[in-house]
Formats: sequence, C-alpha cells, structure tokens
Amino acid sequence: MKPWTKKYIHRKNKMKKWTICATALVLMSATGWMVVFAQEDPYVERLDTWAFESPRRPGAVFSHDDHIMDLDDDCSICHHVYEDGELVPGESSEDYYCSDCHGTEPAPDNQMPLEAAYHNLCRDCHFDRGKGPVLCGECHIKE
Amino acid sequence: MQTQDNTMTEKPKETTDPKKEKATDPAIEAGLERLTPERIRNTINQVLEKETGPRFKAYVETCMSCGLCADACSYFLSNDRDPHFMPAAKVKNTIWEMLAKKGNVSKDFLREAVRISHLECNVCKRCAMYCPFGIDIAYMMLLVRRICHKLEITPQYIQDTVNSHSVTLNQMWVKDDEWIDTLQWQEEDARDEFEDLQIPLDKVGADIMYSVIAPEPKFQAGLIYQAAAMMHAAGIDWTMPSTPGWDNSNMAMYTGDNEISGRIARAFFETAAKLRVKRIVMGECGHAFRSVYDIGNRWNSWVMPPFEVVHALAFYHELLTEGRITIKEKYKKKVTLHDPCNVARGRGLHDKARQVVNMVCEDFVDMVPNREHNFCCGAGGGVINCGPPYKGERMVNNRNKAEQLAATGAEVLIAPCHNCHSGLEDIIHHYDLKMEIKFLGDLIYETMDKKIYTPEK
Amino acid sequence: MNSFIAFIMGPMVWISAIIFVGGLLFKFIGIVQSVRQKEPYIFSYMTLKHSLRSIGAWLVPFFPKSTRLRPVYYGISYIFHILLFVVPLFLASHIVLINEAFQISWPALNNSLADWLTLVVIAALLFFVVRRQMVPEVAYLTRPSDYLMIAIVALPFVTGFLAYHQWFAYRWMAVAHVLSGELMLIIIPFSRLSHMLTAPLTRAYMGSEFGHVRHARDW
Repeated sequence: MKPWTKKYIHRKNKMKKWTICATALVLMSATGWMVVFAQEDPYVERLDTWAFESPRRPGAVFSHDDHIMDLDDDCSICHHVYEDGELVPGESSEDYYCSDCHGTEPAPDNQMPLEAAYHNLCRDCHFDRGKGPVLCGECHIKE
Repeated sequence: MQTQDNTMTEKPKETTDPKKEKATDPAIEAGLERLTPERIRNTINQVLEKETGPRFKAYVETCMSCGLCADACSYFLSNDRDPHFMPAAKVKNTIWEMLAKKGNVSKDFLREAVRISHLECNVCKRCAMYCPFGIDIAYMMLLVRRICHKLEITPQYIQDTVNSHSVTLNQMWVKDDEWIDTLQWQEEDARDEFEDLQIPLDKVGADIMYSVIAPEPKFQAGLIYQAAAMMHAAGIDWTMPSTPGWDNSNMAMYTGDNEISGRIARAFFETAAKLRVKRIVMGECGHAFRSVYDIGNRWNSWVMPPFEVVHALAFYHELLTEGRITIKEKYKKKVTLHDPCNVARGRGLHDKARQVVNMVCEDFVDMVPNREHNFCCGAGGGVINCGPPYKGERMVNNRNKAEQLAATGAEVLIAPCHNCHSGLEDIIHHYDLKMEIKFLGDLIYETMDKKIYTPEK
Repeated sequence: MNSFIAFIMGPMVWISAIIFVGGLLFKFIGIVQSVRQKEPYIFSYMTLKHSLRSIGAWLVPFFPKSTRLRPVYYGISYIFHILLFVVPLFLASHIVLINEAFQISWPALNNSLADWLTLVVIAALLFFVVRRQMVPEVAYLTRPSDYLMIAIVALPFVTGFLAYHQWFAYRWMAVAHVLSGELMLIIIPFSRLSHMLTAPLTRAYMGSEFGHVRHARDW
C-alpha cells in the first residue's frame, strides 16, 4: 500500500465515523418529528374543488363557522361584488358560486381567475390581519 | 475559498517511493539558502498580484475540484493514480497554498514547488482538454516557474541553457564561428551526394529562412545535412542566418525568465526580417515552434507571428504533395507516430503528419490515444532539460508512455520533435522496448529520390 | 410570524434576486474591465466562432473524451445541472407564485414527476458527496468548502421536498425552503458556484486558443 493511501484512508475513516453519526442523528430526529406531527385531525373541512378541471392540490382546509365569527358576520368581505373592476360597498354575493364570476382560465374579461382569486383573497387577508395560514401547505394540507 | 485541510496540504515525508530516489539540485539548494521570508513573500505576491489578471483569478475561482483532469496526466497515470500527480493537485500544492498563505511559505514548500512545476509537469496542456471548464493548469505551472525564476531557484541544468541563451542567443553555448563551421562542414559532406549543394548563408530575399535549435549543430549535425539535402533536391530558394538569432529554441520560455525569452524570440524574428525572407521553416522541434509560433510573438506584442512560421511536418507535407520530393521506395518497417504536444495540440499538424507518414512508409500503425489526445513524451516543457540528475524519475514518471508504445507493436517510432525524441529514446532503452526511434526527416531522407526537382513545363 | 413570512416571500425574494443577478452582472463587468486593463490580449484571441464551438462541443453529452472516460460521474453531473434549473423553474407552486406576482405563467411539471426529479437532484448531490469521499484523486482535492457548496445547493431541494410532502413541521420546513433558496441565490456570485458565469468564459477562452491559434480541438 502506498503511503499516501494510508494517510488518505486514515482521514477517510475519521470522516466516515463523523458522517455516520450525523446521518443517524438526522434520521432519528426526523422520525421523532414525524411521529409527533403526523397525527392528523380525523375530520377536516375543506373547500370544494369541483370548479377546477384537474386540481393540482387538495382543496384548502377551511372552516366557514370560524371565519363568520372572526369577521363579525360581515359576509361581503369574502362574498364581495365587483362592477367594472370596482368593489361595490355594501353588496354581497352569497347566492353565487365564486366560479360564477371567476372563470378558471385567465381572459381579457376574466382578470382574476379562480385560483388567483382564492389565493389573493385568503392569503392577503391573512397577511393583513397577521393571522391565519399563508404558506401553500398550510391550507392545501395533504389528504 | 482557499481554506484547506491542514493535514493534507503538507506532503508527508514517507511519500518518497523507495524505487524513486529524489535528486538534489545544487542550484535549487544554493538558491534556497539565499532566500529570506520577506523576499519569498514579496516575490510571490508580486507575481501573483501584478503579473496575473482576471484569467488567473477565474481559474482559481472556477475550479470545482471535480478531478476530471487526473486522467489527462501521464504523471498521474504512470504513478498508479497517485493523487499528488494529478494536475489540480499540482495547483493545490503550489498556487492555492501560496494564495492561502499570502506568500508566507517555507523553503521546503518552495523546494517542492520547484519539483512539481519543473519536473512533474510538461506544460503539455493535455489537462486543459480534460477540464470541462478549460482551465489552463500549464499556465499556472508556468506561473510557479516564474516565481521560482524570480527567487533564483531554477534547476541547474535548465538554468544553464537560459544562461547560454542570454549570452549567445543560442541554447548550447555554440560560438559564432562554430556555427558557421558546422554548416560548412555539413555542406561539404553533402556535396558527396549532391554535386552543387549549398547551404546559402545570409541570402537576402530568399523564399525561406531555415532555422534549427542549437543541439543540432552541437551534436546532431546530420539533421542539418538531411535538411540541406531535401532543400537542394526540392529546388527551394532558401537560406540560413550566420549571425546569432539562428537558434529558434527558447528554454527561458520554460523557466519563467520571460524577459530573456522575449529577447530570444525578438532576435529570431529580427534575423528573419534582416534577411527579408518570405517564410520561416524550422526543423523538427516542438518547443521551438511553440516559442516562435505562440509565445515569443506575444511577449513582443505580436498577436500572431510576424512571419509565416512553418514547422517541418507541414513543410514535408508541402514538399511531398507538390511533388518537389518524390519517394523512391517506401519504408518497409512497421512504424508508429508520436504526436508532439506543441505541434499537434499546439498547431493541429497531426493529420498532415499522418499523411506524410503514409506517403513515406508502407506500414503505419497509430498509437492509442493519438492526435491531440496523445500521451506526453514526459521530456518536453523543459523537464528533460533539467538534466541527468532527474533522468531516473523521468523514467518512472512516464511508464504510461512505454506501455502505449509497446502496445503498437511497431519496429520504428517516429518522433518529430527534439524533446520528444530524446525523452522517448530514454523510455525505449529504460523499458527495453526494442524499437528504433527516428525523426520523420530521417525517413524521408532515407526513402527519397535523390534527384533535383525540375518544374514541369 | 405572518409578517416574517411576508418579508421572506416578498422583499427578501427581491433582495436575493437582485443580489444574484446584480452580483453576477457586476462580476462579469469586473472581469471585462479587468481584462481590458490587465490582459487585453485575451480579446485579441477570443473569437466568437471558436468560443461557441468549444462551449457547444462540451454541451453535447459524451462528446468530449474526458466525459467518456468518466461516464457515470459525467452523466449524473449533466442531468444534475439540467434539473437544477428545470425543477425549480417548472414547478407548479413556483409558477403559481410568479403568476400571481407578474401575471405570467408557463406549463408546469406534473406533481409526481417534479417530486421524483427533486429526488434525482438530491441523489445526485449525495453521489457527489460519496464520490468526494471514495475517489482518491477527488478526496485529495476536496476542501471543506466543496461540501459546504453541496449543502447550500442541497438545502432548497431537501426542504422543498419535505415541505411538499408535509411530513413534519410544515411551517418551519416551508420557511427553511424559502430562506435556503434565497441563501443559494445570494451566495452564488460570491462563491465558486459562480462557475455558472465563469466556466463558459474560461471554456470560451481555451476554445479560442485551441481553435484560433492552435488549430486543434479542445474536447
């Protein structure tokens, strides 16, 4: 065996031990986390995705009751009405589906497609109010 | 970025292979004696900061240490893939360390740096073809040699050739009258064969200036004879200079003595200019071609050489395809061809060389790999010029080449470059390869029709 | 917390993108300026034709001999570099975010394909780590910064993968994903990861020297 090989192997062994320890530690803590966090609520209320042809994510978890409470019964915050791009104050649209106005595909007469409408409405409000989920997977929780 | 694992940077003492005793060099040792830490630091920093630029910086900052350069290097392959010999490791053990320590390196480090840059790299640039990024490691090895030159720790033998260049403008201390004498002697000898043969000296306005390297008049005068015979037979209007500037070799180019290197190239081009020749043709030498085709012109601020510089390989090709020289009877023995780095990788003459060989020889077998990818002779780049003390390790360091040669099964090896020729001759003897070694000119001279060319009407 | 997330997904994206693009641009201008001042000869030898010839030759898989000598490493490396750009740029979630910010969008990779490709990237990085340990000549060259660079590149992919699967600590994983992506962008111009800019330049120069002066191939 060449002397440089010896030196190299010595170093390698040292590094190997270190690598094994580190990997073991990472795996162990990962399993721990998974056990703690993987316990899901058996019943989750979600938004329907029927308006989308082939949704890429599961419908967002959403509790209508909680929102009514948090928003002091002001339905028009979400069930809004826009005319010519302007919000009509005081008007609300509970009797419509969101997709009645917001088509799924962007078009000249559809500036706010359905997906963007949801994202902007929910997420921006959560950002503004400093509460509620804002990251993708916080709403689109895996089924 | 230059943070390094300390345990790996110093070459452990026990790396010395018992089979390979390392030579000591009086010039290096005496030079190291004279050095002070300040001088070392100042010199290294001066060269790395003032004499380099964005190119060097990009090379240092771009290397991802992927190790692909390893397979390019004869030293690495010949030493059982010892990582110390891979191109990037040579940079790691010289330049990276100098940069990381800001020039504060020890004398032992410098002794190692001289060895790595002068004896363990032929600056053949094969690695630049194997690096995905085209990082020019030869350039960095030449930078290390430049630093060694400025620290005056260049190996003794090659420094002597530079001293000779400096004094005589030729590499071998050939005296002015000795040069003319040798030419006349060859002319006289050749007249036995060709009645009116002349080696025209200083013929102003000739088509071609023929130039050689100093070892030819010194101990291979027969090569001048052969060249004269070919020129004469081909009816070429040619001349050779009688004054200093006739030698196209340039060892200073390899020691990092750029100032002298530039002087040599300038004197060479001025000699050609004085003779008002149309082209310069040169003998079968690789490094000399590199000097006057690629390097020397740059130092003298010419993007490309001020004269058309024609290497012997291209010139032979011209003579044979134009029918100025005809082959009487093709050479019978099985031959193989070594592609010298400086004319194959350095000028793309490998295909012309093959055509010439096929015109001259009956049985040609290529070595593998070949052309730009040919393995280095292990002698060029100034390595063989570091002299006999290092011959032993040169043989160990180029086992790879011996294996490549043996695999061809050829009886004759054509090596159209002086350094390659000498280095491969050593390899053949050391590894007992039972091969003859020849210049391409030897074979053409041997097989050509010895009659004077007359243009057809 | 939401305001922190708003920051890292808003202004911080801009900051890191500007540092990334600006840093590389600044570096490029610096190189050109410095070449002009210290090594103008480089411009004398660079030719567009030979630069492109060399870069092109090295982009064709397994065309250069060097790459044929090390097919496994080269193949993995080739795929890795392509995926490094393709996976993040064609990921549905990223496209949604870009679409909402700039109203531009392009076709996205299918979810499970993107998922597998992410694993390929991570596997390639693991391969690089193992190779750095196992191949003597690479181990000899390897500096701690080599592992650090692998880690910096690996982080966004690992965290992205875990965040997508929401296996544990989703919120923290998503935050780590955003931050590590930004970290990588910020670090590129200041590390050897900037070879995404400099490697084509060194290749072009060598290709020009070989093509224009040496009349030889450099692959």
